Amino acid sequence: MADPGLTGPEPDAGARRVIGTYLAELACQLGGPPSARAEIVAELEDGLWAATVAHQANGLPLADAARAAVAEFGDADTVAAGFGPELAAATGRRIGLALLSTGPLVGSSWLLLAAATWIRTGREPPAALGLVAVLVGLVLAVAVPAAVLSVAVSGRLCRWLRAGPEVAATAAAVAASACVAGDLVLLGGLLASTVFAGGVCWLAGLLAAGASAVRFSLAGRAARRCLAARAMLA
Amino acid sequence: MRAEVLKGHLDGLLLAALEAGPLHGYAVMEALRTGSDGRVDLPTGTVYPALHRLERAGLIRSSWSTEGGRRRRSYELTPAGRRALATERSQWREFSGAVSALLEGRPWPTPA
Repeated sequence: MADPGLTGPEPDAGARRVIGTYLAELACQLGGPPSARAEIVAELEDGLWAATVAHQANGLPLADAARAAVAEFGDADTVAAGFGPELAAATGRRIGLALLSTGPLVGSSWLLLAAATWIRTGREPPAALGLVAVLVGLVLAVAVPAAVLSVAVSGRLCRWLRAGPEVAATAAAVAASACVAGDLVLLGGLLASTVFAGGVCWLAGLLAAGASAVRFSLAGRAARRCLAARAMLA
Repeated sequence: MRAEVLKGHLDGLLLAALEAGPLHGYAVMEALRTGSDGRVDLPTGTVYPALHRLERAGLIRSSWSTEGGRRRRSYELTPAGRRALATERSQWREFSGAVSALLEGRPWPTPA
């Protein structure tokens, strides 16, 4: 492996300032998950120092070599734009995985509420809750396939599916938006049940409402992040 | 040679650069430059994201190490990447043979 290394562990301040300024500008332009952005910046920092050493070996002073390395890498806007599709895919994948992994937990909390309330009151659920169940079913019919699609096209299956990162971001945005709608339906159903029917198991109700409220908030932000990542590709 | 000219062949070039062993991103750029006598000089905003895409597709894998006090990400081919490289080579031979035959007015070589 080509490994030019540096002339010392602490290269001169001028070179560090040149590279640091460039990386700071680049970091401001990158979207996507913070850990992915940090990895890109760390990777490019190493690349810039490798380029600096290559220019230094051609006779340039270190600070000038760093400037030459930055010039070689190109303007930060263009480099950041190049990473846009990968960051959009990473955003879609993370959100898709998060929704798929937390969905069963939220769903279980509502099933627990239904079971606890039925055991406590011994009554059949009110007929109006049938509408809630239908709406939640519709939400699941949209959210689950969309989340699966976002994960599929942003991983190894992208070799065969031939769908771009914009599909991953869009699918994750659809899944997250569907979850927002589903949580609104569930919270509305709980409120209506409490007001009109009563007998709700409060502990299980608080657990289910809390789970949906948290997911509602996070899914709303996630949908906006996906749409922003997608917009950067346009 | 501009990046758009190489569109469609970028993946094969990157896989070929990594065939001999692991390289970090800048070393891949250098390998393409030196291997083409400076003709293939791809920009950072093309090479690094393409490496990430190939990793996402499972054709290469990356690992982090520490070199000179800094974190370094190196890439190497996976078995799927080696198979993809063999396919790219085969397709390129067929494509370049056909285009050469047409551009130079030569008959298409038929098996003896």
